[in-house]
Amino acid sequence: MSNFNSDDLKPFADLAQSFAARELAGKVAEHDRYPFGGFYEDVLKKIHEVGFLNAALPVELGGAGFGISALCEILMNLSETDASPAGIIFTQSLSQKMLLAAGAQELARNLFSRSASAKEGLIAFPVYANPADTDVLPMAQSNGDDYTLTGRIELLVLGNLARQAIVGARTGPGPDYSFFLVDIDGKGVEKSEPVFTLGLHACPAVDVTFQGARAQLIGEENAGPVYFEQVLPRMNAAAVAISSGILRGTYSEALAYAQRREQGGRPIVQWSEVAMMLADLSTKADVAAMCVCQSCQELEQKQSGYESRICAAALHISELACEATVDGIQILGGYGYMKDYGQEKRYRDARMVQALLGSVPMKKLAMIRRIAETGTNSI
Amino acid sequence: MLTKAEVASMLSRFPKFEDSCIGLPYAPRMPKHMVKETREVIAIARKFNEEVAKPLALKLDRRTHEDPDFLPRELIEEANRWGFYTMWVPKMFGGQGYNMPSSSFFLEEVASACAGIANVIGVHYLAVAGLIASGNARISKRVLREVIDGEKSGKPCLLALATTEPGAGTDVEEVDLVDKGRVTCNAKRVEGGYIVNGTKVFISMGHVSTWTVLSAYEDVRRPSETNIGFAVKTGARGFSFGGHENKMGQRACPASVLIFEDCFIPDDQVIMSATLVKKYSSQPNRDISQHYIDYVVSATRPGVCAFGTGVARGAFETALQYASSTEVNGRLLINQEWAQCLLAEMHKNVLLGRLAYTEANNANSLRGLYRILQIKPVYQYLRFMPRIWFDKVISPFLDLGLTSRVMGKLYFDHAKPEDQRCCSGWASVAKFAGTDLGVKNCQMAIELMGQRGLRQDAGAEKLLRDIKLLQIYEGTNQLNRLNAFKCLIAPAVPQAKVFEE
Repeated sequence: MSNFNSDDLKPFADLAQSFAARELAGKVAEHDRYPFGGFYEDVLKKIHEVGFLNAALPVELGGAGFGISALCEILMNLSETDASPAGIIFTQSLSQKMLLAAGAQELARNLFSRSASAKEGLIAFPVYANPADTDVLPMAQSNGDDYTLTGRIELLVLGNLARQAIVGARTGPGPDYSFFLVDIDGKGVEKSEPVFTLGLHACPAVDVTFQGARAQLIGEENAGPVYFEQVLPRMNAAAVAISSGILRGTYSEALAYAQRREQGGRPIVQWSEVAMMLADLSTKADVAAMCVCQSCQELEQKQSGYESRICAAALHISELACEATVDGIQILGGYGYMKDYGQEKRYRDARMVQALLGSVPMKKLAMIRRIAETGTNSI
Repeated sequence: MLTKAEVASMLSRFPKFEDSCIGLPYAPRMPKHMVKETREVIAIARKFNEEVAKPLALKLDRRTHEDPDFLPRELIEEANRWGFYTMWVPKMFGGQGYNMPSSSFFLEEVASACAGIANVIGVHYLAVAGLIASGNARISKRVLREVIDGEKSGKPCLLALATTEPGAGTDVEEVDLVDKGRVTCNAKRVEGGYIVNGTKVFISMGHVSTWTVLSAYEDVRRPSETNIGFAVKTGARGFSFGGHENKMGQRACPASVLIFEDCFIPDDQVIMSATLVKKYSSQPNRDISQHYIDYVVSATRPGVCAFGTGVARGAFETALQYASSTEVNGRLLINQEWAQCLLAEMHKNVLLGRLAYTEANNANSLRGLYRILQIKPVYQYLRFMPRIWFDKVISPFLDLGLTSRVMGKLYFDHAKPEDQRCCSGWASVAKFAGTDLGVKNCQMAIELMGQRGLRQDAGAEKLLRDIKLLQIYEGTNQLNRLNAFKCLIAPAVPQAKVFEE
């Protein structure tokens, strides 16, 4: 369901919905079996073909040049059915935006414009951490032209699929860090098996150990935090869209079930306690959709303090999604707890989305730290 | 000062003292030895956790993801070796006869390591409660004897309880709902027994149990009046297993689909039926069904609260470990105020959960199912009498119809409705309190741990998957809230009606 009252965005919603109906619906549990079942290579290929992987990349760099609203529309509508592909698109978009924030347009053009297959153009990124909050980042040593990395990165998303990754590393003892592009199929890189995670199983991650791996600096040394903060509002808006999609999915499933399941001789939707729970879900889904819309507007208008407001939306909506998916299972009772209905997956996925771009407490502390430091929530 | 009559009058007003402060009047009546026994039980559970449950929990969870049809047979054999399947079987039935409330402490301990493993042990006692609460001493003895023998021979004999049906979950937990519901498991009277047809779902440990305590209905249109309980043995003709449910968590404990197709169950395996109880009880069938359900859930729901408390503790301990070993911005999390407050909050939830199941068990001890066993002379008698005495002297009596009648009469006719309400209400409050607190703690642990919390090998995410089931089984928390209202609040409000919306 489209949440924007704009005809401009309807084609994107339609596109994502029809994609979800065609490629994802009915196969969600099967896709989620990974890494204990096969990976949905065919779906990844189609995500690429339809243009989702490079949706947010400018046209001149080989992308589709969609704005944030279109990207959110796609993420939201996919996530209503299955958030894993949205996780893949999120990760790819983050890698792309990081390159652009660092002024590495040429590099981006080389990486994306020539990528014939889906995997060729994938860039892995550890999306569940803010490198600034990570005390143990890899160390990077300069060798003149390039750098060598030593250390470990956990949960490098798409690490088992992509050939290259963007990771943060420190060049000195200070807290600042730099971003590097590293060939993760190359020498000095050891990848784990896909990590068994709570959710988003079809958006896999690996742990990577670097031992003198060659890496290319992106942008300037020690400017990592600047680039990260720069892409943060956009990626937070994207995270709001994924949470919002999960929320809508859990609500729709719960409502449909409550209308057909009978206990005590009547559909459970007529039990007023169930109705109350559904009303809460509906409220949360609507508020989430408004927050997606508002976040996109904030991002386009860039009024003072917009970064903080979008961050607030991400914190709030991801929390709502986590709460709502608990009730989403509850309304289905025992069936909600089984893999067959998708509700348990949404419960797991919602927590993954909440952890995107760093842990909740760190995000909250950073928010107030900014006020203390600058007198405003603005970055 | 007030007169005695005034005190009594004041305390009988809502909320009645005797319904809201159970532990206080119970304390002096509790056999002192129960404390020692409980301490021992907790120590055994901790040893089991260190040696078996903790090293196994994550491996087993992973294993069941690799192979969704995996059954934890080795774990069951291990638990059997530790004597866990007879620990809370009363001595009169040949068991070790540990006091029932101590099982909650045990379940909390094991659930703090793994809720799935705790269920592999605990679900057995759900069915034991279903068996014993029937008051049918003869069939209880027969079935439990096999459990005892299974422990001796090393071939575990477990019990499962089968109530939930595909179209009836909440309905079968509540007499007021079941008549409006869609139960289908039918027992038809035939010569020498019954023919049973129907399907049961989400039956924990079904596949690996030897005996199933089955709930069926002689007339599916009047289930509350025709409820009939059977003990049916795995392998009986017409009794088979369907699929193995693919659960989000608690995967060490399989959930089964049970299928009954023209399954003949002889009369001597009927554990409870209205006709049977009618022989010695003057109560209407419906009340007998309600009594029976109340007994079972009053005993089992505090156990679910203990599971929830255990998982809450697992989450607390995982978070504590993480906070004690993780530095952010050069400082250990454990030394940051916000993390200290969060950990205190989590610890509080554990303590409150434990208080809740303790008080619900106090109710059972003072006014419910455990009352007789805990009258001090009875308790001491059971404690000191040698095993052989039970085997040689008591045991033959259990086969007499008279014993079952006396037990049944005690269970069904001598229980006061207000006592039943108190026990059932407290059990419900404990159930939804403990499991909600558990969910809360798992959420806090996941949030605190950020990226690390998302990995199966770090433990926290499994807790979040495991805990959710506890809000659903043994009556959804919504049903338990309604039952708490019905039992503890509605009696004080003449115009209150429950399940009549």
